[in-house]
Amino acid sequence: MSSSSPHALTAHWKKFLGAGVVAMAVLWYFACAGVAHHENRQALSILVGSLFWISVLIGMLMLTMITRVFDAGWAPIIRRNWELLIIALPVVIVLGVAPLAFSTSFRHALWDWTDAAHVLPSGHAVGHDPILQAKSWFLNEKFFLIRVSLYVLVFGVLATLLRRWSFAQDTDRTAGHTHRLHAVSAVGIPLSAVTLTMLAFDCLMALSYHWFSTMYGVWFFALSIRLALAVTVILTYRLSNGGWLDGLLNQAHRHVLGCLMLAFTVFWAYISFSQYFLIYTANIPEETFWYNIREFDPATGLKNQWWGVSMYMIFGFFLLPFLSLLFYRTKIVAGRLLTVAWIILIGGIVDLWFNALPRQVYDKSAPEGFVVTPFLTSSLFLDLLAIAGFGAIVIALFLRSASKQETIPVHDPRILESINYHE
Amino acid sequence: MNERNERIHGVACTFRKVSDVFHAAEKVRDAGWKNWDVHTPFPIHGMDQAMGMPRSPVPRLTLLGGVTGFITGCLLTWYTNSYDYPLIVGGKPYWSVIFPFPVLYECTILFAAFGTFFGQFIFNRLPRHNHPLFELPNFSRVSDDTFMIVLEARDPQFHLDESRNFLQSLGGQEITVIRD
Repeated sequence: MSSSSPHALTAHWKKFLGAGVVAMAVLWYFACAGVAHHENRQALSILVGSLFWISVLIGMLMLTMITRVFDAGWAPIIRRNWELLIIALPVVIVLGVAPLAFSTSFRHALWDWTDAAHVLPSGHAVGHDPILQAKSWFLNEKFFLIRVSLYVLVFGVLATLLRRWSFAQDTDRTAGHTHRLHAVSAVGIPLSAVTLTMLAFDCLMALSYHWFSTMYGVWFFALSIRLALAVTVILTYRLSNGGWLDGLLNQAHRHVLGCLMLAFTVFWAYISFSQYFLIYTANIPEETFWYNIREFDPATGLKNQWWGVSMYMIFGFFLLPFLSLLFYRTKIVAGRLLTVAWIILIGGIVDLWFNALPRQVYDKSAPEGFVVTPFLTSSLFLDLLAIAGFGAIVIALFLRSASKQETIPVHDPRILESINYHE
Repeated sequence: MNERNERIHGVACTFRKVSDVFHAAEKVRDAGWKNWDVHTPFPIHGMDQAMGMPRSPVPRLTLLGGVTGFITGCLLTWYTNSYDYPLIVGGKPYWSVIFPFPVLYECTILFAAFGTFFGQFIFNRLPRHNHPLFELPNFSRVSDDTFMIVLEARDPQFHLDESRNFLQSLGGQEITVIRD
């Protein structure tokens, strides 16, 4: 591994960028055509696709900072890959969420609360909604756009600083960078916690702005870390089979990633269940409707498609990874850990769908005055295209960074500890 | 010590360097010994593998404790709230898996902790107030600057003279016979 010869993998970055640009063009073409016909589902695909990668990258940003403040000895060789990736976080927000928020027609199509003329299931217009008026100190368009700009700014600055000093250490061999990164991380963790909470409120919770949950930011954080770890396991598996982690990634690294995956699987379940449990126990209509539309048809009381998705969340996204990861060998055998990582990755996409897609659509002919959008539609393929498209851009930026920087933090004070990491 | 009760516990020898005791342990493992131990002043990374130690069986008792706790929680909430004194609270059913879930998982965690705590006592054969090794005059040095390998008499391979010679061939010093 020498700085003069970047790894052969990095040469592919232009192909990924090309694929990403084509996907963006297709997605925005569909989204614009949809909005022109008063449909928002195509724009929602862009939101879901970008949020998937925002979630992954926020998780990696947090893991980068957390391993910095805890001086995690195992981390350096894995953290370098997070550092190479996190610059994509502000880029994905700029390419996905920001245009949706700043363009008036997309904003009105996706975020009902921004469109005063939008008709609610009750038959009233948003502009006359007392619930929105009470929340208008937060949910007003000016502040919304300021917040979206702040997401780019905060995550952009943090990613830049975390990268700059870590990369600088590769050439000037100064231990001071480690102390500086320690300080940036200590400030960055609470700052990111607030920022990611606001982002989760704005991009997901506010899609159904009558509903509120104070757990929502923590849920998004838990999901982000789970997804970040799943992508890390998949990525490091690839990089240790013909990449720059060849012969470096050992059983103990897999074990620590597996243990973290288990911990955050439990944490995600704890948070998701607590949110459900509090709303179930309090039984207040302003809160329960959000889960009701995700369980049954309001007119007939029969289970709808979202009930099946809920069950998948419990059994496929919690119980299966949880029970698998309890076993030591799942955490150390590369193929098994990889399988669990894919299960978590797929579950994370379904969880985003579960949170973003079900919407009450005003329908005068329906007995309850609205219908709930179904889960199974052909638009799910557009969501997957969006995830793949933003993914291609993320990978392109990752490989481009890797072609310019050391792919192993060769002068990190803990690099030997990381390479020789032992259970 | 009573003459007729005097039995041999095993043979001990000391080493002065980590690498010596590490490689000696590998040779004892490869010779197929089952009942033997290494004593060191500090944990040595990789010693588990060098000794051929299997994973601890304690997690199995943790899992057993957790499952027991979950079932106990189910029975507790079902018996009290639905069977013995059926009571509607907050319009919820007499029993479902949702409303008592905090009780269920707290019981799961509590019993899993019991399983872990008492499991390690069982598998470490604790409490134990004395051990024949404590009779060795130099045993306290293995918490200071010496490493020790002990071959125990209950191993089927144990034969006093052969075991002594084996330790000598490994480079062990101060070869001592430990009596019960």
